[in-house]
Amino acid sequence: MVALVNYIIVSAALLGIGVYGLTVKRNAIRILFAIEIIVNAANLNFAAFTRYMNPAQVTGQVIVFYSIAAAAMEAAVGLALILVAFRLNSTIDVRKLDKLKG
Amino acid sequence: MSLVPPDLIFVILAAVTIIGSILALQAKELIYGAVALAISFIGVAGFFVFLDAPYLAMLQIAIYVGAIVVLILFTVMLVRRGSLDEMTDRAEGGEGTVGLWLAGLLAIGIAGVAALAGPNLPTDTQPASLPVSSLGPVLVTQYPVPLIILALLLSSALLGALILAKVDK
Repeated sequence: MVALVNYIIVSAALLGIGVYGLTVKRNAIRILFAIEIIVNAANLNFAAFTRYMNPAQVTGQVIVFYSIAAAAMEAAVGLALILVAFRLNSTIDVRKLDKLKG
Repeated sequence: MSLVPPDLIFVILAAVTIIGSILALQAKELIYGAVALAISFIGVAGFFVFLDAPYLAMLQIAIYVGAIVVLILFTVMLVRRGSLDEMTDRAEGGEGTVGLWLAGLLAIGIAGVAALAGPNLPTDTQPASLPVSSLGPVLVTQYPVPLIILALLLSSALLGALILAKVDK
């Protein structure tokens, strides 16, 4: 029997992995991976909570629907930004993209 | 603290998802990382099937695996080979340790709170027999404004991405 707790634990593990990637990785595309993993953790939580707390409604699924669409456009814009940054600086190492520091 | 022993399928799905996401971040080559990310997304789609949300599972596979990962793969392969993925991804100094501590504390904290609250959380409900078609009316009648905003946002984001990535001749 799978309980809500199990989903929360899996989601927390995914969130932890994503935060690790966000803080440690230097390649901008890896950071995009980490963001997608965190969004997936959130989606999993929404779906699990709506299934266990309020199974007669689909509100949580609607939220996940919007979230997936938002993640899709975020990936498109993020990759375009990474491409532009690569073209301008010939690197996507986020530690070296510090021109705005002045 | 009584954790309900989960089914075998759940354990396998959790292992696929978590190992896939770890590999996505730690794989040597960016291409392998993207493939591992796709496997992790498929694991999450399996969770959606488990949660009586087949439409979300379909959406997850179509958009995440079919669009986002393929977009990442194309970007990695189109940009000059060796410049993107040969870059060292090693953390310098204490960065790795700090990141590990932060991520571990966050995950263990949330999981610990959830496990403590475990007895009060619902373990199982009566099988929800909501058909897939019940999502559509809710989407159009209860949340029409977010839907329209989402459509506008999607088209503007795609246009913006096109303009950003355009090469000026």
